[in-house]
Amino acid sequence: MKNYSFKMNRINQKLQEDKKLLSIYFTAGYPNIDDTVSIIQDLEKNGVDMIEIGLPFSDPLADGPTIQDSSTAALKNGMTSEVLFKQLKDVRKTVNIPLIIMGYFNPMFQYGVEAFCEKCQELGIDGLIIPDLPVDVYHEHYQDIFEKYGLINVFLITPQTSDERIRYIDSISNGFIYMVSSASTTGAQSGFGNVQTDYFERIAQMDLKNPQVIGFGISNNETFTQATQYAKGAIIGSAFVKHVTKYGANSVDAFVNKVLNG
Amino acid sequence: MKLKVCGMKYQDNIEQVASLQPDYLGFIFYEKTPRHFDTKIPEISEDIKKVGVFVNEEASTIIEKVNEFELDAIQLHGEEAPFYCSILKTTKLFNKPVEIIKVFSIKDEFNFDVLEQYEAVCDYFLFDTKGKLPGGNGYIFDWSVLNDYPSTKPFFLSGGIGIDQIEDIKKFKKSEASKYCYAIDVNSKFETEPGLKNSSILREFINKLHNRKTMNYNVDEKGYYGEFGGAFIPEMLYPNVEELRQNYLKVMAEPNFQKEFDQLLKDYVGRPSPLYFAKRLSEKYNTKIYLKREDLNHTGAHKINNTIGQILMAKRLGKTRIIAETGAGQHGVATATVCALMGLECIVYMGEIDIARQAPNVARMKMLGATVVPALSGSRTLKDATNEAIRDWINNPVDTHYIIGSAIGPHPYPDMVTRFQAVISEEIKWQLREQEGRENPDYVVACIGGGSNAAGTYYHYLHEPDVGIIAVEAAGLGVDSGESAATSVLGNEGIIHGCKTLLMQTKDGQITEPYSISAGLDYPGVGPMHAHLSKTGRAEFMSITDSDAMEAGLELSKLEGIIPAIETSHALAIFGKKQFKPDDVVVVSLSGRGDKDLENYIDYFKI
Ligand SMILES: Cc1ncc(COP(=O)(O)O)c(C=O)c1O
Repeated sequence: MKNYSFKMNRINQKLQEDKKLLSIYFTAGYPNIDDTVSIIQDLEKNGVDMIEIGLPFSDPLADGPTIQDSSTAALKNGMTSEVLFKQLKDVRKTVNIPLIIMGYFNPMFQYGVEAFCEKCQELGIDGLIIPDLPVDVYHEHYQDIFEKYGLINVFLITPQTSDERIRYIDSISNGFIYMVSSASTTGAQSGFGNVQTDYFERIAQMDLKNPQVIGFGISNNETFTQATQYAKGAIIGSAFVKHVTKYGANSVDAFVNKVLNG
Repeated sequence: MKLKVCGMKYQDNIEQVASLQPDYLGFIFYEKTPRHFDTKIPEISEDIKKVGVFVNEEASTIIEKVNEFELDAIQLHGEEAPFYCSILKTTKLFNKPVEIIKVFSIKDEFNFDVLEQYEAVCDYFLFDTKGKLPGGNGYIFDWSVLNDYPSTKPFFLSGGIGIDQIEDIKKFKKSEASKYCYAIDVNSKFETEPGLKNSSILREFINKLHNRKTMNYNVDEKGYYGEFGGAFIPEMLYPNVEELRQNYLKVMAEPNFQKEFDQLLKDYVGRPSPLYFAKRLSEKYNTKIYLKREDLNHTGAHKINNTIGQILMAKRLGKTRIIAETGAGQHGVATATVCALMGLECIVYMGEIDIARQAPNVARMKMLGATVVPALSGSRTLKDATNEAIRDWINNPVDTHYIIGSAIGPHPYPDMVTRFQAVISEEIKWQLREQEGRENPDYVVACIGGGSNAAGTYYHYLHEPDVGIIAVEAAGLGVDSGESAATSVLGNEGIIHGCKTLLMQTKDGQITEPYSISAGLDYPGVGPMHAHLSKTGRAEFMSITDSDAMEAGLELSKLEGIIPAIETSHALAIFGKKQFKPDDVVVVSLSGRGDKDLENYIDYFKI
């Protein structure tokens, strides 16, 4: 059963495609509460390969000001786990690319981890990214539940992560590894220096079982191209959130086109 | 009864077992045993005596080993004659005084006559089971033999003692035969292989030996208090927190560290803080109230005990930049103070709203050379300042140490902060012995924001069942008013700032805004130790409203001439709510002085 569900998982299928992947993060329920599904649909329509749906949290420790503010706004708009699940009820009727929910652990813990996972499977969610759920706790308490519902859990590594720990994380992962580009919270920065490219190269040479996708600090065509020289794909978050803050939810096409085509 | 753990061999295991605070650790310098000790002894607490075990060894070798390994005692496990013992007893070649323990093996019976010639030449006897090997045979002898013990010299009881003997030991302790039994000696029954001790079984044994309920109120090896605690941190923080976790106990056990910490607490902070019998307050409430005067510390609160400890820790770890969060500004001031003392850069995060309402403390921090950075997100109070400090740490993973100001955060913070604050109850013990002739009060009382003054006040009493623990939370405008910080009543399990604990949150798992008139109690969670104390019922939790606290603060000022911090006033307010017996001894942690709150008191009472 374990292998069956993973074979079917859209994330694994997508990772097998012979192309560099663009993944976009956005905050659910932002700028307006009902923008969630239309943003997902527009991202797919414009050629995005994978989507991280941000479930907002009151105290997002790993996020910079852009995503903090969008989270605060989304919560004010009334976003909750319950509301998000309602919004996503029919999403698989129109959307085929992998969908990942990214959020902090406490809201999932309150919903009930198993109930949350079960709901994700029912709606066609393929994976979860939970920055404050440590690998060991996942491994000890939750891995069986995630696997039961065919969900891929994605772990982060940073420039400070030791080789030994990277190998351990690789052994527990079954989708991709989220490579945080530098020691920082989320938020766009301009370009990558030697320190980062050395790190990208070091990881690329480790010959890991799971492909890597780079995130944090990717904001445009240049940084996307640079990052994907070393990795299977790259994730844009804050830059996209900033864009919809400024131009609204129906401006997705302009952003994605610029990233993909320069 | 003291405890000796013998046959230690491996460095990591020695540190692990040392963290359980046995009274003696034994190292066997006899080559024909698999427990033969042939490495170095790591730095362990000075309170633990190191015993070298020898079998018919040359006296010169013993002297050499004692000096090389800085042993505190030698245990002679062969057929050493009284004359030989007397040489060791009188030699001047030891670098420091050494206790001599002479072993006698007992089968079914024993002729106690042999002891007489050893009386003058050794400090202790040790009775072991006679077997093939000189010790470590794993069998028990019949302890009733000791009914005929003719001496008054204290002895160690040894031979095959394991966790299964707990009941026998308890029976033995009640018998006449145990009158001079000074210590229990354990070895092979706690091993997973010769020389390797299982520390969790040993911990259980120690708890049972000391009559502690099996419940452990301290942190366990994985960083949990029962089901609370742990380290729920993003991967970006893992290297920092892991570095701290691997080093904190080791560093704290270093004699140099302890010396520097104790010295600063004495000369700079002004410890010990007095334990003051509050006569007029006691008369009013018809019970015996003692105040532990943390308000008399430098900077005016208990917070500095922790910042002194952590700044020394940061220096040992080679950090050059210090960050902290603060609510009322007490912890910020205490951090800025120790950074000035050590010449380290200091950045304090403080909610924008708190900056406005705690102007004097902001000015203090600036005067001490710290940079105060406003937290502009969320509700712009303590919780958000903590978020900002954590984000700073993520962005500066190499050179920065984060000095958390309460017994909260990811493991090892709650335990580390608790250990630094534990000096409070350590002092209460001997101060109360001086004044009341007993170490244990009937109750210890403290207010709880995150829970650091409380953790320090309870620490040495957690496993003393005759000491009642009272934890006082801020009820704000009332527990049911929607404006409260009474986490134990209003909260449930969740994750905040890196640990699993009780916190106030919505059904959807969003952390809610607490309210209290006291900025230091205005936090939506409690430390994981307190969550465990609440859940297990070990502590009684009480909630005190703004107005009851303010009245109690005014009352202490008028009755005793002490103006307390508003946080502390919450702890004092319980006397109006709970009736104590006239001869109850109740120790209250007077966590801070009221200078910072004058404005509030003035406004409130229209003074
Ligand atoms: C005087 C005083 N008491 C108590 C507290 C509450 O903190 P904790 O629960 O960590 O002791 C504070 C915090 O600012 C304080 O300043």
